[in-house]
Amino acid sequence: MTEIGARTRDFETAVLPHLDLLYRVARRYTRDTPRAEDLVQETVLKALAHWDSFRPGSNARAWLLTILRNTFVSGYRKARREAVSLDPEALDRVSTRPEVAADPSGEFFARITDERILAAVEALPHDFREVVVLSDIEGMSYAEIAQVLGVPVGTVKSRLFRARQRLQAELLDYAVSMGWVRPRVAG
Amino acid sequence: MSGSTGCREAIALLEDWLKAELTPEVAEQVRAHFDRCRPCFRHAEFERRFLAELEAAGRGDRCPERLRAELLREIRGADPA
Repeated sequence: MTEIGARTRDFETAVLPHLDLLYRVARRYTRDTPRAEDLVQETVLKALAHWDSFRPGSNARAWLLTILRNTFVSGYRKARREAVSLDPEALDRVSTRPEVAADPSGEFFARITDERILAAVEALPHDFREVVVLSDIEGMSYAEIAQVLGVPVGTVKSRLFRARQRLQAELLDYAVSMGWVRPRVAG
Repeated sequence: MSGSTGCREAIALLEDWLKAELTPEVAEQVRAHFDRCRPCFRHAEFERRFLAELEAAGRGDRCPERLRAELLREIRGADPA
């Protein structure tokens, strides 16, 4: 290995530990493996080009995800003719969770598969999908997510709440349809 | 929040509690409520397990080695040193 300069070394130290994260988030954003790889590559090269604007000691993970998100929104998403800006009315139309089905023996958790869960995540509208991915899969704080999305913490929380409701409704409906759990009878 | 935490209060704080975004004092009061209230405990336990399943489902992926090697080549190829 040839010697590398301090700038490159610092960049590698800050960025390479986050490649798995960037790849996972890119897959959930694009819902397509080749496009996810392109998105990661473009993100890392943009980060390298703008490395001088990164403040040493600040949050590299949030910085990288902001670049990834901006790249996705400006390019990949438009290419798919998906809505680029958040439509609050569309999100408000999302149905809320039905009464949690009765699951006294834990059948739901015993039988639900990773594939089924990820399919339900990918079926969420983008703005819901991304808060679930960043919060509940990647473990980012409200503040970090607010930074990446450029929205107030309260927006992150309300979006996350509704996203989880929708995700649970989807998965519980499936569990009921499979006969794993009984729907709760009203009254 | 003062005194003992009621059901409505505990459930309203559940999301933040599960995300460890409460102060230690408030988090402890919420936990104490779940310890003594069976219906709230079941609700909280379902949410906790749901989030654990979600995290486990999503965290399996890793950046492919081929892509990692390609990125490293590009980063070092751009190195002026």
